[in-house]
Amino acid sequence: MAQLNLQHIDKIYDNNVQAVFDFNLDVKDGELIVLVGPSGCGKSTTLRMVAGLEDISAGKLLLDGEDITAKPAKDRDMAMVFQSYALYGHMTVYENMAFSLTLRKENPNVIHKKVMAAAEILGLTSQLNKKPAQLSGGQRQRVAMGRSIVRNPKVFLFDEPLSNLDAKLRGATRREILLLHKRLQATMLYVTHDQTEALTLADRIVCMSMGHVQQIGTPIELYDQPANTFVAGFIGSPPMNFYDMKVSGDELVGKNFKSSLTPEEKSLLAAYQGKEITVGVRPEDIAEGNEFKVKATNNENLGMTTLLHGHIGDATSADLKITAKLKGWKNYRRNDIVSLAFSRKHFFDKETTNAIRKGE
Amino acid sequence: MTTTTNDDQQTKLDRMRYIKNRSAANLALLAIVFDVLYFVLLYQSDVGNYYYTIITGASVVYNLLFLLFAFLAEEGVKNYIKGYTYLLLAMGVVQIVRIFIVPMQAHSAVVTVSSVDTPALGDGKFTWMVVFLILSAVCLMASAVINYSKCRTLENYLKTLENTAA
Repeated sequence: MAQLNLQHIDKIYDNNVQAVFDFNLDVKDGELIVLVGPSGCGKSTTLRMVAGLEDISAGKLLLDGEDITAKPAKDRDMAMVFQSYALYGHMTVYENMAFSLTLRKENPNVIHKKVMAAAEILGLTSQLNKKPAQLSGGQRQRVAMGRSIVRNPKVFLFDEPLSNLDAKLRGATRREILLLHKRLQATMLYVTHDQTEALTLADRIVCMSMGHVQQIGTPIELYDQPANTFVAGFIGSPPMNFYDMKVSGDELVGKNFKSSLTPEEKSLLAAYQGKEITVGVRPEDIAEGNEFKVKATNNENLGMTTLLHGHIGDATSADLKITAKLKGWKNYRRNDIVSLAFSRKHFFDKETTNAIRKGE
Repeated sequence: MTTTTNDDQQTKLDRMRYIKNRSAANLALLAIVFDVLYFVLLYQSDVGNYYYTIITGASVVYNLLFLLFAFLAEEGVKNYIKGYTYLLLAMGVVQIVRIFIVPMQAHSAVVTVSSVDTPALGDGKFTWMVVFLILSAVCLMASAVINYSKCRTLENYLKTLENTAA
């Protein structure tokens, strides 16, 4: 059992810079929570506060109901996996994995059994006599994870563990972490700036910006029902297209294009008739159709899909740029005119940037 | 109870695949320490130029070689290499033989300094030098015996594993 509760956590540094504002999160037993956001948003600071590596300026941190806010890192029963692996270069993989237990003066036979079990889980059995320098980046990261596993901690903390790996290895290691989580059923807190990692790994995602939590939810909630334009723009690749448009009767009117509204959309935007809102459209929610014309600037073939970059109409201003993810292999050339249509739209209040939802 | 003991024994054997042979390696290091103590005492002695002979020169060269091979053997036994057992044994024997070369001869020699007959090596220093050489030899031989025994055990265990896998 390991439930983690972060209650009204603030982090204010000595120079009065506030890195985290009123962070609240209840992590259930066995849950994998991913903190995601751009650099400097406070996600690593939050993780370090949970680990005990940073003081908590205000608020409470509870582990299984026990207040551990002031507890030193060594007494928190948490294991952290760092981006830089933090392995001892002069020790073998076995010795690295056994190190924390050796320090605790555990029985050598017990240590051996734990190390072998962890090595088996991580597929490191044949590497145990090697030194970290003889391993690939992915293997080193697995050793770092193994070092955490042998401790059998209540909570695993991952601080951008895949950032040092190349794209292919990152994908493979990501799948291994997911399998590891399924196998151990452990409570995990994972920090990343990569939204793909967040979407593929998380049970729930905490999206942060400038020290504030923007939205907490399952990956599909963040993708499908983003709380504001920040989350909408951050989650999803390529990012969402945004346009300022006026709600006018049955349609949305943009600078030089229009888009019709469905009856449901019209009812949702009833309070915004005659007002300008921000309309968000994911590239994958754009298809070939007859709603508006786009002047192509660039065409990227990805095999199953094609990314079409262009401008709506003849405009070249930044706010009318569009990226569409079209099905199949297309061969549009620069300045080709392509007819497109939105298949799904997200609406945001222009002032607050919050999503416009039913009943709000 | 018996099952637990067998299980522990099996785990202990399996650990040998990943744990260095520290006891044998540390004994080899200790042998080096005793040898260093021996030659520090030897090179401190300077009674009437008795020590400025070819034997002393040879002793210096041997000490250098001893350090080199003892460190080499220490690394070898740490990784369960059986061949170093014989090197360690030979070095142990040489340490015993060395007692009869410099310390014994210097102890029985008399040097005339300012018309006074003086023993080249006093009883106290002689005793310590002999003790250090004996301790060095004992450590080397113990290291050799432990290494041989552990290497055999590990070899047998690995054979069992191979047979099981086959």
